[in-house]
Amino acid sequence: MDTYFINRPNLDRLAKSLSRTYRVYVPVKSEGNRSYKKVGDAGLVDAIIGEIRPTETIKSFYFPARTKVSEYFPGNLPEKKDRPVAIIGAKSCDLASLAVMDYVFKQDTFKDPFYIAKRDEGLIISSDCTCYGESCFCVAIGVMPYPTVEFDINLSEIESGYVAEVGSDKGEKVIKEYSKLFQTVGHYLEKKEANRKKLKDELVEHVKLKDIPAKDSIQGLFKKKFDANLWEETVKTCVECGACNVICPACHCFVLKDQKKDGAFERLRLWDSCLLLSFAMVAGGANPRKLLAQRLRNRFDKKFNFFPEKVGKFGCTGCGRCTEACPGKIDIREVLSNLAK
Amino acid sequence: MMIDNPYVPIKTGILDVIDETSTIKTFSLVPDKPLHFKAGQFIEMTVPGMGEAPFTPSSSPYDKSKLEVTIMKAGRVTGRIHELKKGDVVGLRGPYGKEYPLNEFEGKEILLVGGGVGLAPLRALFLALAHDIDKYKDVLFCCGSRTPSDIIFKDCILDKWQKLDKRVNFRVTVDKKDDQWKGKEGLVTTTLDNLKINLKNSVAVVCGPPIMMKFTTFKLIEVGYKEDQIYLSMEKNMSCGIGKCGHCRMGDYYACKDGPVFRYDKISNIHEIWD
Repeated sequence: MDTYFINRPNLDRLAKSLSRTYRVYVPVKSEGNRSYKKVGDAGLVDAIIGEIRPTETIKSFYFPARTKVSEYFPGNLPEKKDRPVAIIGAKSCDLASLAVMDYVFKQDTFKDPFYIAKRDEGLIISSDCTCYGESCFCVAIGVMPYPTVEFDINLSEIESGYVAEVGSDKGEKVIKEYSKLFQTVGHYLEKKEANRKKLKDELVEHVKLKDIPAKDSIQGLFKKKFDANLWEETVKTCVECGACNVICPACHCFVLKDQKKDGAFERLRLWDSCLLLSFAMVAGGANPRKLLAQRLRNRFDKKFNFFPEKVGKFGCTGCGRCTEACPGKIDIREVLSNLAK
Repeated sequence: MMIDNPYVPIKTGILDVIDETSTIKTFSLVPDKPLHFKAGQFIEMTVPGMGEAPFTPSSSPYDKSKLEVTIMKAGRVTGRIHELKKGDVVGLRGPYGKEYPLNEFEGKEILLVGGGVGLAPLRALFLALAHDIDKYKDVLFCCGSRTPSDIIFKDCILDKWQKLDKRVNFRVTVDKKDDQWKGKEGLVTTTLDNLKINLKNSVAVVCGPPIMMKFTTFKLIEVGYKEDQIYLSMEKNMSCGIGKCGHCRMGDYYACKDGPVFRYDKISNIHEIWD
């Protein structure tokens, strides 16, 4: 695919221009905490295009925590046209999770029209990580700290601007439409590759400390350790809060809840958490996963056994958010490492 | 243009309510749009504004005029369903999931083993088999209930169906008899003693509470059935019904999409299936 260069003022112009068609979001940082913020008249003034993924994942843009899916009867919702979402500065770990989300909501037998509309209409201008977080371990499970999939345009920060790589026809169209903002890439391409290699090497060294088994061995090790007391040991500090589910870019489980509102009936699709006791319980009280250890194991089963079987990819992209979010200090890297012990 | 919204329930009228036992009722339903199921598939039934629950219809799949579901009062939604009356409105989605593979049953001796409200899906299957009885060698229907007053579809099981065809036979048992009961007493697994079935040419279908499914399956293996001759209807927590919400996963399968009917050999190595 084609590669260009865009300087910072021009990226700012691009973001402002895209705001006419899209709701444009960029990562910002406040008191050390990264989150997405909608781009307004001020443009990208406080945007952090490089660095690492924000605390919040991009799944909220396509699969919000709460979505009204029906108002019955008859049931279909009036078609309401929100401007689609453009994300500038999404990171590789979040893009990698889209393989799992797309499988669930877009490619599997039944299709979810809410997810599909948001995904298909959205625009993703991703960016390379320029550093890594303590909890990051993407490279250990086959995800690079720079986007390789699912972007329309990717930005690699170089000196006064960014190398812009086209990743899709949609990205190509954007660059054509705003061609004045882009320059030829010149010698920046080599610089980009050097930057990528440097960060990747650093991250590989960082991850080595955690002793995570080779990625191709993880599924097999998980199967072997299914009955091991590793799960009872690991779960000792779990408080069943479900933060790991909420914060995970690849956790997709939800529950349908109905309610009465203004004399009508509506159905909501709400994020759910497999760590909660009632998750698999049926009305009669039978529960295949009564024990918290079973539920924690189930989470790993889904990510490191089920999804590799179905999609050929882990339901984990090494973003490290669950490790950061866990009040019980359960470190997903340690769990993976313990699989091999 | 949006593709079809799979979360939308079809408005459905309640044509009739039949009391089966003190905790089980059969609801006769007529959806605004036709909803044709195959025996073993399930539907999601909505109590407006309150929620949904999955049920496998108990009526004949050949009856296109209505659809019946037989429901035990067990939880929040089913409690409310039991308060519903003729003329009330509910919602339906579906049908979902895999049905009983009737073409694989052809020419065979078919053993149905049901317990309690688990007889409901088997009623739909039985009626489908009876509809084309010439296609099958014979049918033995083993029915277990806790007490005589817990037997559902009483008129059918104790009378009407018994006279249907000489190729159809019944073994009915209760866990605990009362003074009037002249039939057999014992767990449903005891009906599997002294089977006069050519096992090589037979399939067994089991539906009931988890503990009954477990011990019936083990008993079937003990009397000589192979894992690939046993079909189970798995009851799991199915919220979306379409393989997305994650609740009903069993190993590599979703009960809603890959089941609820499973051939036992496909799931026998999965942990946590009997709970």
